[in-house]
Amino acid sequence: MVIEKNVQKNIEKIKKIYGYSTDISTRIIKLGKVNVGIIFLESSSAGLTVSDNVIKSINMIDDNKEIFQSVYDNLKNRIFNSQMTTTKDFNKFPYFLSAGFTIVLTDDSDEAIVLETRMPLDRGVTESSSEPILRGPKDSFTESHAKNLGLIRKRIKDENLWFEDITIGRRTKTRVNIGYIKDIASDEEVTYIKDKLKKINIDGILDSGNLREYLISEPSAFPQVQSTERPDLVSSALLNGKIVIFVENSPIALVLPAVFIDFIHTPEDYYQKPLNISITRILRFISLFITLFTPAIYIAITTFDQTVVPNELLISLAIQRESVPFPTAVEIIFLMTIFEILRESDIRMPSNMGTAMSIVGALVLGSAAVDAGIVSPIAVIVVAFTSICSLIFTDIDFMNGIRFWRFIFIISASFFGLIGIALAFIVFILKLASLENFGVSYLAPFSPFNPSAWKDAIVRFSMPKIFKRPSYIKIKNIRKQGEDNES
Amino acid sequence: MKVKIILLLFICLIITGCGNYRELNQIAIITGIGIDKNKDNYEVSVLIANADKNETSPKEGQSEPTVYFGTGNSLTKALKVIERKTPKQLYFGHINVVLISEDVAKDGFLKVADFLLRNPESRKKFYLILARDSKAKDALEIVSPLDAFPSQNIASLMGTNSQTQSITNSVTYSDFIKAILTPGKEGVLPSIKVKGKEKNKDNLNEISPNTYLELTSLAIFKDDKLAGFTTNNESAAINILKNTVKQSIFEVNYNNDIVSITTKNVSSKIKIKSPNKFDIKVTGEARIAEINSNTNLNNKKVIKKIENKLNKKIENQITKVIKNIQQKYQSDIFGFGNLVYQNYPKNFKKIENKWNDVYFPKIEVKVKANTELISTGSIENTIRKEKAK
Repeated sequence: MVIEKNVQKNIEKIKKIYGYSTDISTRIIKLGKVNVGIIFLESSSAGLTVSDNVIKSINMIDDNKEIFQSVYDNLKNRIFNSQMTTTKDFNKFPYFLSAGFTIVLTDDSDEAIVLETRMPLDRGVTESSSEPILRGPKDSFTESHAKNLGLIRKRIKDENLWFEDITIGRRTKTRVNIGYIKDIASDEEVTYIKDKLKKINIDGILDSGNLREYLISEPSAFPQVQSTERPDLVSSALLNGKIVIFVENSPIALVLPAVFIDFIHTPEDYYQKPLNISITRILRFISLFITLFTPAIYIAITTFDQTVVPNELLISLAIQRESVPFPTAVEIIFLMTIFEILRESDIRMPSNMGTAMSIVGALVLGSAAVDAGIVSPIAVIVVAFTSICSLIFTDIDFMNGIRFWRFIFIISASFFGLIGIALAFIVFILKLASLENFGVSYLAPFSPFNPSAWKDAIVRFSMPKIFKRPSYIKIKNIRKQGEDNES
Repeated sequence: MKVKIILLLFICLIITGCGNYRELNQIAIITGIGIDKNKDNYEVSVLIANADKNETSPKEGQSEPTVYFGTGNSLTKALKVIERKTPKQLYFGHINVVLISEDVAKDGFLKVADFLLRNPESRKKFYLILARDSKAKDALEIVSPLDAFPSQNIASLMGTNSQTQSITNSVTYSDFIKAILTPGKEGVLPSIKVKGKEKNKDNLNEISPNTYLELTSLAIFKDDKLAGFTTNNESAAINILKNTVKQSIFEVNYNNDIVSITTKNVSSKIKIKSPNKFDIKVTGEARIAEINSNTNLNNKKVIKKIENKLNKKIENQITKVIKNIQQKYQSDIFGFGNLVYQNYPKNFKKIENKWNDVYFPKIEVKVKANTELISTGSIENTIRKEKAK
């Protein structure tokens, strides 16, 4: 639809499109014989900015006919604002208005001036709440798109860091931004992701979480895309040749491709001493295995394979179980379920009720259940230990992936004992190894075996010794330190 | 393809069978077995560990030893009788100790050995001990204040002492059966004695326990039958020869005074010269443990003399014990026959049956001890000499 050369008519049209919504504000100012129309939404534009910058500058403009042929030209050149575009397309008006722009129309032109007068609806940059670290930058992404990109630009001042916008959502018209470093990330992958995003035809995208499912092809309990609210993690991923997706109004960025080991590492790993962090990483691996297998192994060794337990331990286990009326598997599943419920309710509940919650939780899970003879003390220890170990990982999807497989192990252990665990483990490894996204095997660098990437896998070598980016990710430029001709 | 793999895995799961599913509170964990003989029948007593007599919350999980008892002409039958008395399934996977009485040993151990060896649950690595002068059942029932659980008490008594006491030596079930089966070698078993009469739980409340178990010297077996017991000194020598002792104590006379010497890392090597001539070399380290006279230990010659006396003593003891066993028991517990078998297999095959009775008593053994006195302990000289300075 074209813009008519009549302010009155255009304003009427817009009002009609918006169904005469109350937040639509219009004003007509006469400049000589020419009507100047101002349209904005008071809900998304800042009124003060509109009056200070737009209306004030329109009023102050003198009719300088020698230089400018029309009022439109005059305004276009002299209006106060840092961001200004023009459009001839009437259909774009609703998008601009909703996004907080002010539209200025004149009688003598079929073009409209669009000025940025957005109301700041975002909170400021705050400390990350879901991925806290001890040593390192504390800032985190917010709901503001520009701020998020700014937090990255601030860190990587390279012109090769490219951001590309795609609008997704028929109704929400959400800006989705793909960020990558042009001369590191592989073009093939960037196009692949862009194509995938462009194919999405949905009425609304509200958070980056919505997008994730469109990006991965194979179903799995474990996340194949890393979600983070840490700008430093995103920056280091970009430097490693990964691709980052920002979604407007979402404080969580998506990093892809992600492999299993990315969820065990934290950005803090690179700010601490390599030897100490290597030990920490080994601890994380140990707790990964503990949290996956402990309840299953407990069930297996107490109901099928008692022979593997040392004498004194078995007797102590047997005595503890003496008055418990349920089978071991039921006991463990019961306790695990209670813990999961506690965790879920703890997230949903306002934080000032959390104390009451934890007291009840500790009492129910802990002493009361044991005193009542419903569960044995050792079962409480097993479940508590398992749960503590699972809390080491920050990514909620990763934790839930572990939970899913833990229950599979528990079920196979309660039917088939240690052999069941072994078989379930084979299936587990098969499943993980067969996962592939964007050409990267999920278990890289372990499978396919990639020794050069092992410098930063289970242990971390000191930074001066790591010359190359992880080579399992498809990248154009593998060297990150030193000159290319060095060996 | 995928379906086939899943099917295959499923079949794998099914054919393993889930027949051995049992909850911990359905099994009676046997930690000790006592085997006695009453005329033609075996009296088997099993010590069950997971009896909770308190019936309170499992928090106070203190195990109460319980002994069940059954009689039958075989181990299986006796155990069947016990099963009728217990509400739980008997479980043999965690046996600590098996005690056999002298009667059983004299009658032949192999008559009762099969059951525990054949049972897939049992680990075969538990201690086998001979109950001397008492019923195995009685020894199984003694509670000790240091380790309130009888079988564990015996096992730890065995475990700690086999390293530090030269008179005994821990033998596991499989070790003993292996010794019986090895050609040209006979087995020995440690023995245990019940001291005192009363056997009740009050024992736990006494400051000096009324009843206790004491490890005594080794029992010599010929084939699978008990031949007799050694003395304490003999046991020490046997253990040196069998390389099963880490520490032992010797006393030598020097200047009309007794010097106690502990030996460490003593090891012996038997060399075969000909089918009836053997050389034994003993090496090791020694340390003076106690000396109360005013001998001057700073003098190297004195140390050398004491060392020589110690070596003489060891040589003497070993020679004596070999002689004694040759004459009294005619049972080759040292494995000289095995060396013959290894070096002259064809000859040995011919004489294997008569080895113990005819050939073993005739063999000649030369013993050479070469231990070194390397330390005088925390103080260098004797107290009197130190004072004289």
